Amino acid sequence: MAEKEVPLTAVKVDALVVMKIIKHAGQTFPTTATGSIVGMDVGGTLEVTNSFPFPVVEMPAESHFDNAAPNPAAAAPRAKANVVYQAEMIRMLREVNVDANNVGWYTSANMGNFVNMNVIENQFFYQKEMNERTVALVHDVSRSAQGSLSLRAFRLSPKFMAAFKENKFSSEELQKSTLRHQDIFVELPVEIRNSHLLNSFIHQLQCPSKSASLDLPPSLAALEKGPYAKDSVLAPNYDNLSLSIDPFLEKNCDLLLDSIETHHTETNNYQYYQRSLAREQAKITAWQTKRKAENASRSALKQPLLPEDEWQRLFKLPQEPSRLETMLNTRQVEQYSRQIDSFVSATTGKMFAVKGNLLPGETAK
Amino acid sequence: MAETDSFLHLARPLGPVAVGSAPTTAPLNVVIHPQALFSVLDHSLRRNADQERVIGTLLGTRSEDGTEVEIRTTFAVGHTETTDQVEVDMEYQKQMLALHLKANPKEVLVGWYATSSELNTFSALIQNFYSGQGDGTFPHPAVHLTVSTEPGKDVETRAYISAPVGVTAERAADSAAFIPVPYEIRYGETEKSGLESIAAARDAENRAANIFTDIEALERAVEDVLGMIDRVSRYVESVIDEEAPASTALGQFLLNALALAPKVEPADIERDFNNHIQDVLVVSYLANTIRTQMELSNRLATAQLTLGGEGNAESGQRGGQRGGKGGRGGQQRTQERSGEETRA
Repeated sequence: MAEKEVPLTAVKVDALVVMKIIKHAGQTFPTTATGSIVGMDVGGTLEVTNSFPFPVVEMPAESHFDNAAPNPAAAAPRAKANVVYQAEMIRMLREVNVDANNVGWYTSANMGNFVNMNVIENQFFYQKEMNERTVALVHDVSRSAQGSLSLRAFRLSPKFMAAFKENKFSSEELQKSTLRHQDIFVELPVEIRNSHLLNSFIHQLQCPSKSASLDLPPSLAALEKGPYAKDSVLAPNYDNLSLSIDPFLEKNCDLLLDSIETHHTETNNYQYYQRSLAREQAKITAWQTKRKAENASRSALKQPLLPEDEWQRLFKLPQEPSRLETMLNTRQVEQYSRQIDSFVSATTGKMFAVKGNLLPGETAK
Repeated sequence: MAETDSFLHLARPLGPVAVGSAPTTAPLNVVIHPQALFSVLDHSLRRNADQERVIGTLLGTRSEDGTEVEIRTTFAVGHTETTDQVEVDMEYQKQMLALHLKANPKEVLVGWYATSSELNTFSALIQNFYSGQGDGTFPHPAVHLTVSTEPGKDVETRAYISAPVGVTAERAADSAAFIPVPYEIRYGETEKSGLESIAAARDAENRAANIFTDIEALERAVEDVLGMIDRVSRYVESVIDEEAPASTALGQFLLNALALAPKVEPADIERDFNNHIQDVLVVSYLANTIRTQMELSNRLATAQLTLGGEGNAESGQRGGQRGGKGGRGGQQRTQERSGEETRA
């Protein structure tokens, strides 16, 4: 990593990779799909030119009971078997002239719920073990189904990397490092790029007929059955004109409720820690005063003094819970609320349009 | 393009068949997923400078009766071709196939592709390898897909299956009768948005496109619809002015489309509109409140508290604040729940 001077600023994704990720994520939905991406690093821009999915390691059946059981696919990128798989695959790809450098991994998400320990650990693993200049591409299946593609690229910030390496997430450490939940990820802009060949292919797909003039259809049935009534491969997508908003809002509320639940648990944990800490400290003070009194009487009797720092062995202060989970949770909530904001901005527009259309004159005040 | 060609389904001449397996002679339809085509095109760009064409393996699924083959994934296979001999890296093909099947256990080998429209003796040889027994697709026919990538010409895609010809074993090994079969490009619902973004890059000078935000996508969609309405109304106007030929079918179609506009009471609209907009705004408001609350709670927990005492006093104070936060969080939740209930 000698050429570290230029920081990564953007990610260019080939159309091929976009399609491959969408296909993989769509197939496994709603479980998480993960895979590896390969490409090249050209002066601060990471060009992603190919990808391949990771095999899902089958977990023993009993682990499905536990809700907290790790999702095998989500943890796949850092599984040992997959590191081997990835190395093997890249070696094979090199033989057919594919850019054979690992530049990260991808994962699928559902309504932006990707801020969790798995993603952090995977990306940490990649940035630490594999190559510093790697990204995580996140494809949101549910949001893409609503009309506009959602593909984002993330990296862990250096600050967070340093903290995560030494697991410094107690209150004091956070005060010192001023690490906040906004600092966990660095988002990179994503651009989609087509090759020349693909570009010409897409142009060609769009106008399937070469004949210039078009006969008028003889009947309604002929019109509906004709080749032009079928939506062509690249017909624009009007899903985002759809007015159904309830499923989306409902899902988001559910997710937010989950987050609040998590937050609540975390605060409770913290409070519990505070209480037990206070209790222990009270005990220690009591012990210390007792020892002091004893020593005073001993010195009065000219006896050897008892050591006063024995409490360190006798009492154990409780471990402070890590604040990492809370931080991630806050980041997740931020993600949800931004998502809702952008949805709301589009929806209100649509709703006013519908109202204006159905009640002409009302809105023209 | 071959899509618009018509096809004559010929019964596939049958080769020597193993006893017990009943080969089918039903017509075959090939479905190609866009990502498979994309990766063929990508591979053809990455060929060695002296190579005329490149080949690779097609993976996908086959319907139970064998009449439909879906091509989902492809991978490249190295090969060298000289005037009198061809060498395909079989070892590579086998290893790569094993790797792919590990990640996609549902997909099977269905055939192979080449990036030129030409069919020659070597094609027959490779075809016989892919459709052969053992590692091949036997007893199903192997699909051969040709995608021409000649510069300056249209990208031409064709699909074939083959039948063995030749009287002696040696002759049969390097010859095959390729029978064209119809194919279509099919894409799933989830791929639509991806294709749209890719298509957005086609007119750009640098062949690149950014990912749209929701509101940008909406804007584009609205503009597109407006454009289409304009086109239709121009056509209708020119028909009225007797400049363009009229068509009953088109008129009927337009009438049907217009009849879809709902007839509803203004009061109903007003009510529904208000309900919905309130839902939307309330959820947005709540989401942002929750975000602020959580952030505040985190800040308080890790802030440097300089007021008041040190040590114990500080942590006690912090605990108190956090307790208060927890309580408020709970309150928030009930609010949120009630909001959701009213909506439901």
